[in-house]
Amino acid sequence: MPDTSRTRNRLKFSGTTVFLYLVMLFVFIISVFPVLWVVLSSFKDNSAILSSPFSLPERFDFNPFIQVFTQYNFGLYTINSLVIASVATIISLLIYSMGAYSIAKFRFPGKNLLYLLFTLTLLVPPHTKAQPIFSLITNLGLSDTRFALVFVYISFGMAITMFVMRISFMSIPDSLNEAAFIEGAGFWRVYWSIDLPLARTGLATSGIMMFLGNWNEYFYAMLLTSSPRVRTLPLALAFFTEAFSYDYTQMFAALTIVILPGIIMYIITQEQVQASVASTGVKG
Amino acid sequence: MPINRIERRYVPFAYAFLLPTIAVFLLFYLIPIVTVVLTSFTRWDGFSTPTFNGLTNYLRFFSQSSFLISLRNLLLWSLIAATLHVGFGVLVAFVLFQKPKGWKAVRGVYMIPNIVSSAAMAMIFRFMFNNDFGFLNSLIRLVRPSFQVNWFFESPWAFVAVTLTWLFYGAIITLIVLGDLMNIPSDLHDAARIDGATGFQAILRIQLPLCRYAIGTSIILSITSRIAMYEAIALTTRGGPGDDTMNIPIILVKAITDLNYGLANAAAVFMFLMGMFTLWIINRLFRMNNPIY
Repeated sequence: MPDTSRTRNRLKFSGTTVFLYLVMLFVFIISVFPVLWVVLSSFKDNSAILSSPFSLPERFDFNPFIQVFTQYNFGLYTINSLVIASVATIISLLIYSMGAYSIAKFRFPGKNLLYLLFTLTLLVPPHTKAQPIFSLITNLGLSDTRFALVFVYISFGMAITMFVMRISFMSIPDSLNEAAFIEGAGFWRVYWSIDLPLARTGLATSGIMMFLGNWNEYFYAMLLTSSPRVRTLPLALAFFTEAFSYDYTQMFAALTIVILPGIIMYIITQEQVQASVASTGVKG
Repeated sequence: MPINRIERRYVPFAYAFLLPTIAVFLLFYLIPIVTVVLTSFTRWDGFSTPTFNGLTNYLRFFSQSSFLISLRNLLLWSLIAATLHVGFGVLVAFVLFQKPKGWKAVRGVYMIPNIVSSAAMAMIFRFMFNNDFGFLNSLIRLVRPSFQVNWFFESPWAFVAVTLTWLFYGAIITLIVLGDLMNIPSDLHDAARIDGATGFQAILRIQLPLCRYAIGTSIILSITSRIAMYEAIALTTRGGPGDDTMNIPIILVKAITDLNYGLANAAAVFMFLMGMFTLWIINRLFRMNNPIY
């Protein structure tokens, strides 16, 4: 009996199995191929890109990358992106983990309303605030500075960090805090030396999501900066492809420089990114 | 957590810890949103004081031909997002839930296009759809050597090309739905099997309805992304050819650069209302306020 039912199952599901693998193959191709094509093309010269789009590069020549870095300032843009994204991420982590800590661990009037307001910010499309933020940054005298982007990016992480950090702090037993307070530890000390280290998974998750979002941000970088001195990578890429649309190799090299760091970071941290997306529905 | 004496002593500190967050909220959310709503009823160039002009901005915004095309595009894109885009994301989730060999790897790589900056993704598609060296046309020319289409710059292909930049990239949907599928209590699956439900019936009658929240959330997310879609258009077609791929964020940015802040903010209010409307209607349709279990 068990044997026949097994063979029957296998026969019945073989068509389904083919379908499952076809869908998976399709997903794999559309996800990996565009990136792979860009990276491989950056190692081919102009004529090879035009004449044989399907061929593999004949050799791995890193000169286009070096040229993009040295002649077209991509070194500076990479540093700008890195500094702006990291500083904004670290400050947001500090600010919002403090806020989430209060909401998760203490009772006081208005805390539910505040939490609701903070997480509702997720529903405001960033573009809708373009004009007031543009004016705010101009009035603060910060337009065309790295500070402008740091400020704006800090604000982007609010909902997701609040959400993730509140859950992290709530999962730490309250008895730890009570014991520490009775021992006479101060508020800051309990937060900094006891709770924050225990919430490091939450810090990592929201930090990664925010960093990726900041690293990739284009809209406000375009709106708030103009000079090459403060330009970030996504914006530099847009300018570069406008100005050098005839040099395909360098365009692909520039594109590779912009996309690879994020992908590598994702591959290293994919468990956290996937868990965070599944629970919040937000990427960066 | 009872409020005891120790805890009460720390309430002022708790408020103090919230101050930076409240400051960011006021400066970057509340004040901007109030400004947007108020100044959408004024004539304002950003330098002079705003002067009240009633619904003039809205009337001008709604009567622009580019707005009507944007609205048509938004409706079409939302329809495609809610059906094909979310449908594909859900399909992938159900496929991965069967745990075929390599499902974790596929789940992992599917997220890559979402991780890449949407600006860079727009560039990649501009290159892939390029007529001279793009991958797509090279592929088509293997079969039809005379094939020539400038995808992003020819009507009606530009609309198709912009749609293809996001149509199949539903990794976020897949992850949300997969999360819900994995949370279905295993006794429900067992009960279905005992009642004689075959694989497909179990999916249709049990798993799909139990993922109602996740699917509703996905539709909300994907439609609101269509409302706010900027890079995929600004870095490819710029709304062209003609106004073929125009959308509201493109109009909004143009109004800002034209120093017509009242009009820009009327467009922003409209985007905001469209988002709220989507949230409300999908909530109703998917009965997302009723418990599932």
